[in-house]
Amino acid sequence: MKIVIGYLYGDLMNIYGDTGNIIALQKRAEWRGIDVEVKNISVGSRLKKGEADIFFFGGGQDQAQELVSRDLVVSRKGKTIKSEVERGVPLLAICGGYQLLGDYYRPHKGPKLPGISLFPAYTLASHDRMIGNIIIDSMFGKLVGFENHSGKTHLKKGTTALGMVNKGWGNNGKDRTEGCIHKNAIGCYMHGSLLPKNPKLADWLLKKALEVKYGKEIELEPLDDTLELQAHQMAVKKFG
Amino acid sequence: MRYNASMRLLSAILLGKFVAFLTKLFKLGGGSAAPGLYALSIEPDLVKKLALKIPKNVVVTGTNGKTTTAKMLAHFAKESNLKVIRNHTGSNLERGIASTIISYVNPWGKQKFDLGIWELDEAAFNSVAPKLKPDLVVFLNIFRDQLDRYGEINTVLKRWQETLKKIPSQTKILINGDDANILELASSFKGHIQKFGVKDFKIVGESIVHKKEQENLDFEAKDVKLNGLNGSTFQLKIENLKLKINLPLPGIYHIYDTLAAFASAYHLNLPIRRLADTLKTYSPAFGRVEKLPFGYIFLIKNPAGATQVFETIAPNTKSDDHLLLALNDNLADGTDVSWIWDGEFEKLKVQSAKLKVICSGDRAEDLAVRLKYAGFDPKKITIEPDLKNAFRQARSGLKGKLFILPTYTAMLELQSTLAKSGLKKHYWEESD
Repeated sequence: MKIVIGYLYGDLMNIYGDTGNIIALQKRAEWRGIDVEVKNISVGSRLKKGEADIFFFGGGQDQAQELVSRDLVVSRKGKTIKSEVERGVPLLAICGGYQLLGDYYRPHKGPKLPGISLFPAYTLASHDRMIGNIIIDSMFGKLVGFENHSGKTHLKKGTTALGMVNKGWGNNGKDRTEGCIHKNAIGCYMHGSLLPKNPKLADWLLKKALEVKYGKEIELEPLDDTLELQAHQMAVKKFG
Repeated sequence: MRYNASMRLLSAILLGKFVAFLTKLFKLGGGSAAPGLYALSIEPDLVKKLALKIPKNVVVTGTNGKTTTAKMLAHFAKESNLKVIRNHTGSNLERGIASTIISYVNPWGKQKFDLGIWELDEAAFNSVAPKLKPDLVVFLNIFRDQLDRYGEINTVLKRWQETLKKIPSQTKILINGDDANILELASSFKGHIQKFGVKDFKIVGESIVHKKEQENLDFEAKDVKLNGLNGSTFQLKIENLKLKINLPLPGIYHIYDTLAAFASAYHLNLPIRRLADTLKTYSPAFGRVEKLPFGYIFLIKNPAGATQVFETIAPNTKSDDHLLLALNDNLADGTDVSWIWDGEFEKLKVQSAKLKVICSGDRAEDLAVRLKYAGFDPKKITIEPDLKNAFRQARSGLKGKLFILPTYTAMLELQSTLAKSGLKKHYWEESD
């Protein structure tokens, strides 16, 4: 078996150690004998249906974010990503990537950055810096990470959050929701990196990717996650 | 009015000196912040006023290499019989600068120093540098570092540009000509900027690389040869002058610090040719790269710096060496440990597969996971959050060398462990 990880704008959107998520997906697939290819899909490149089996979208600096927001629309990649997600292709978006996949991002000054409305959510710039360790309760159990954002994301009615904040700020610091989940796509504010310390979530993304690609139910071979879970529990104990 | 202002300055200095005396008396640490903090509360313009008493001031900023550069320049200055004042314990916020000046200043009479050398971190630079009225400013590099504290690279650059606009045009500015981000500063300064760099080498490790031709360099290192952990040799070119340099510090990143120190010395009219020979007796700043009787300490604090350390030590490790890494998440380390996923621990792995590895510090577990995903065998990784115990374990059964790679506060803790066990002096007692 083989999976292709589509690293969306990996050359522009990769601050806060989000590359760790790519490393985690890659290693956890390779340890099970699954071949992995990481493809950088960026400004100027095209995206065809079926080209990637799983998408990752990290956060970027403000300047990069504007460039990427424009490219998602102009190059029609945004449309393709959306229809792929509707088909079940899994996606993980963190921070800036998460914001660009909502309806829009409204900065302090200047025009709104349009999103691609993959997640029924919108983000407003704020003057609060929401920063620190975060723990949430989700369908994957407790998830641990580190958030650092000033944009406040609001989920529209009927939208499912990734989880509820146990410790930290989450989407907007008010309604206790964190992140968003739509089909097999997840967006959230959790750096850390997220996947290495939350192996259950990493494996869920891999499993969905393989199931969509090969059209059958897949059981992933279990791995020895002693170290990962130790780091996970340390975070829960120390910051919870 | 005038009388009040000078009284205020005097009381601020005396209070600062008194606090420094108390901290020393009760052994509350090195006293590198508290005296300045109290003095500034009485006289907020203390740094500005006292800096005028120093004949010449040099400011060094950048993400990595500040302390090494400042210490080397201080070494050159002392070798040239200048009296130097500098913030040498890495306390580089305004209160650290204030503490240092207070400890040296004679409130009543003639001052005893010729040159101030100030290292300022990315944020402190903007508030403190203009107050120091520097004759020379050095920009070493900019890498992502503690984004929870400094913000994004573009934000740091933008603030530096604003500060540069306020600096008088006769000030000498030296920048790293190989760092594409740093080069963007040039347009914001009214005066003349000079560049230093290494021939045929480009700084890597940043996400947005603006491809540019090699800049014309005013201070250039050519014919670079790296000699493992012992250091490197290169030819230094300044205008028509060519000098052979034997640098006793390993890794290409130290060549940049050395270039910056030489370029600064050149501008201060120090006898460059003679100074090249004094590098033999230069000892690096504590913990940056420190030789111990049984191994080495290399400070790691951000992705670019850590990767440079890995590149430097990995080819020089043997299978009977031990590796002790310590990751803390205190404010001075950065509370977000995500950065370890940007550091290329894979490079450390290449030759180090068989090493005994101990992960320590408040986030020892995060470090262990990072190493596992970099290809280390999880069974060979020991987790021991307590640094003292980890240090003891790392030394037991050691036949080769011990490589210790701590983050900033772990390094300070380690220094005190070393001092207590009689292996070295307290860092604040170390001479320059």
